[in-house]
Amino acid sequence: MDQTPPRHSPPSLEVLTRSLRTPLGQVATEHPDTLALVRRRFLAGRSAQPGTVPVAAFNSSI
Amino acid sequence: MACRCGAADPAAPCRPISQYVLKVHSRCDLSCDHCYVYQEADQTWRNRPARMAASTVRAAATRIAEHARAHALPVVHVVLHGGEPLLLGPAGLREVLAELRATLAPGTVLDLRMQTNGVLLDEELCRLLVAYDVKVGVSLDGDRAANDRHRLFAHGGSSHSQVRRALALLRRPEFRSSYAGILCTVDVRNDPDEVYSALLAEEPPRVDLLLPHATWDRPPWRPPGVATPYADWLGRIHQRWVDDGRPVPIRLFDALTPGRAGGGTEAVGLAPADLLVVETDGSWEQVDSLKVAFHGAPGTGLDVFAHPVDEAARHPGVAIRQVGLAGLCAECRACPVVSRCGGGLYPHRWRTGTGFDNPSVYCPDLLALIATVDSRPLPDRPVARRSSPGAPPGHAGDRPPGRPAAPAPRPAGSAGDRHVESATDRLLTGLAGGHGDPWALGVLAQTQLSITRALLATWRDTTGGSAAWELLTELDATAGEAVDAVLTHPFVRPWLVRRLARPGTPDDDLLPALAVVAGVRAEADAELEVPVRGDALVLPTLGRLTVAGARTATVRTVAGRLHVRAGSVERVVPLDAAAGSTLGWQPVRRVPVAGVALAIEDVDPERDCYGQPVAPTLDEPAAAALGRRLARAWQVVHRDVPAHGAALDAGLRAVVPLAPDPGAPLRSATAREAFGAVALTELPDAATMAVLLVHEWQHGKLGALLDLYDLVDPASTVRIPVAWRPDPRPVEGVLQGAYAHLAVAEVWHARAAADRPDPRPARGHAVRYRDWTREAVDALLGSGELTDLGERFVRRMRHALEGLRADPG
Repeated sequence: MDQTPPRHSPPSLEVLTRSLRTPLGQVATEHPDTLALVRRRFLAGRSAQPGTVPVAAFNSSI
Repeated sequence: MACRCGAADPAAPCRPISQYVLKVHSRCDLSCDHCYVYQEADQTWRNRPARMAASTVRAAATRIAEHARAHALPVVHVVLHGGEPLLLGPAGLREVLAELRATLAPGTVLDLRMQTNGVLLDEELCRLLVAYDVKVGVSLDGDRAANDRHRLFAHGGSSHSQVRRALALLRRPEFRSSYAGILCTVDVRNDPDEVYSALLAEEPPRVDLLLPHATWDRPPWRPPGVATPYADWLGRIHQRWVDDGRPVPIRLFDALTPGRAGGGTEAVGLAPADLLVVETDGSWEQVDSLKVAFHGAPGTGLDVFAHPVDEAARHPGVAIRQVGLAGLCAECRACPVVSRCGGGLYPHRWRTGTGFDNPSVYCPDLLALIATVDSRPLPDRPVARRSSPGAPPGHAGDRPPGRPAAPAPRPAGSAGDRHVESATDRLLTGLAGGHGDPWALGVLAQTQLSITRALLATWRDTTGGSAAWELLTELDATAGEAVDAVLTHPFVRPWLVRRLARPGTPDDDLLPALAVVAGVRAEADAELEVPVRGDALVLPTLGRLTVAGARTATVRTVAGRLHVRAGSVERVVPLDAAAGSTLGWQPVRRVPVAGVALAIEDVDPERDCYGQPVAPTLDEPAAAALGRRLARAWQVVHRDVPAHGAALDAGLRAVVPLAPDPGAPLRSATAREAFGAVALTELPDAATMAVLLVHEWQHGKLGALLDLYDLVDPASTVRIPVAWRPDPRPVEGVLQGAYAHLAVAEVWHARAAADRPDPRPARGHAVRYRDWTREAVDALLGSGELTDLGERFVRRMRHALEGLRADPG
């Protein structure tokens, strides 16, 4: 069985467009999911966990 | 119970965990009646320390750091949580943050976050959060009436005004970098329109909507006679959001929308949840919302003092959250929308007797909500550098005006359109035909820039703030074109990927050089220390200055020139060659072709990303000769296939000379991460060089498209024999080869059809490349390894090939 983890989904045009409209200094704050997606997709093979959920970007309510 | 994480050997490491919730304070200054920590089945908080001791923070950070190192995690997410984390006070919070940064940040990106009720947030705490780069989510349930329904002090007083004051603080420019968003718990008795308006009025970077915690034992409140009140309520907000042009990301809706970012959340989707909680006493626990199920539900019996992360990750309750579909009940596994809802939030499946082997107690609502989301599909918006039409004017998150307008597709859905063509369709159709019009090339360039910016933001997270970063972000706000000009340099992304993929490896930081270049392009007066690489100061897109015997140089930018001081030597570098030359300065040389300044890139060391040796810097006669040949080759492409010429004009910006090799004189290459550049050996004739330019630019275009869409099943391991190589190739390799050869076939077809003295050699080439391409296209379509989009793309390639079916000439 091939244990190679699947590549993470690519970011969509919509996601990349939104990020591009954001000042560079706020990209990390305002688009954490995009950053996570870009890391997983484009630092491929070195990523933490393909397909993991970015729960920590927003955890549940206190 | 056997470990279901996939590790055959219980001693073997499990899947790595990258997300951690630290319960740094277990008490709260509010007494919300919907809080799962205190008001639900689990009451373990009563016997735990109120605050996490410094020794516990240190032990947790050490465990996480050793796990990150062992699994080479490039990023670790840590959320400070409670109770209420701000009850630590500024001094206590500073201790925790300092410990986490000191222990975790070396070698990995530490994404620090906090979830708070906001009541105690003040300027001092905001300064601390900004200083430690903590992103803060604030809980707010909507307007005053909605928020006062649950989020009250123990004495019954409202917390609404305090929370709004906290949000106003986070909106201030000096603190906004720490503003992550708002988390709103749904109550269907609230007015969804009022809630929506109240949330947006706080200008959050994002919003998440959370279903109130419930189980089959304690189902959610539902008004009598209403089947799906939560879907109805959320559907109303969704309608408003869509009507407003989706002005802010709403995480639940984004996660339920196919093709959107994230691919799921803790609440929906099938992606694994790699999360552990550390309680104030150091216990490793599962996701904390399990507290709604039964007393002690999140417990693992493990703690940070005695047990490493790997051991906690192997706990059955943690491992089963990582097996996707296999971890769901039979009813969910058979459901057609299971990939969307993922069975809902894990605790919401709980029922005494059957445990978690049930659909979510919100199953009917999730089904209805997915139908609602699908009924208002996401338009593929044009890539634009400005506010979207739906965004409010002057929205704080928008970049400033003054940038070149991005290419926009025909307005989708405009009146009179019988067929609404999405941007995806237009992009795929345009490129599959083999060329790609300027709009398509513009979309590719813009999305590549967006990827580079995201990687750069990641780099900033890795290395922390710096004067270079400050300058770059300031210029981005005031002179965006100057920043774009340097970030679209083809070799910025390869540098970022190389450095981010291998954190901790010693190397030079390119960021100061990028900031300096942006500064001089913006005609800004700025000064920075820039690392010297080897014996040279390398300034991407501008050139290289030989600087012997110094590790850094002080570079001051003024309009049109650079003042460089290295050691005791100071030099002025005019950027306009006509203004004279400076000893040791090697500018990037450019060739004017079809209105484009094509760079001969032979000075940037990052150009060495093609897997084969690049040529050293050319002397002036050689560079001039190459420039003339490239200009002629460009003309030949326009003559042969004008559409390919237009595609070159629209996107190819640099050519890297490859080192000559007598054994393989005809070589060319493209690097997937270096969009806008191709590498070539120097060739004596422009006609051959034209073919290589077209061939390589096809790889460049398709590579950028593959960054956006999976055209081949990512799990494919199939190899397909091809005519142009002796060894079978991976499916994506076959696609790349076929796409390049389709264009080359066109070029030869055009040459064979032209009125030339002897068309026979061209005819032979045209037939050969056409046949190679056809065989490859048919093999791809028969392989079963293409995605739906991939099949559409390749079918359009085959359609384009039909135009070359007849023998040329």
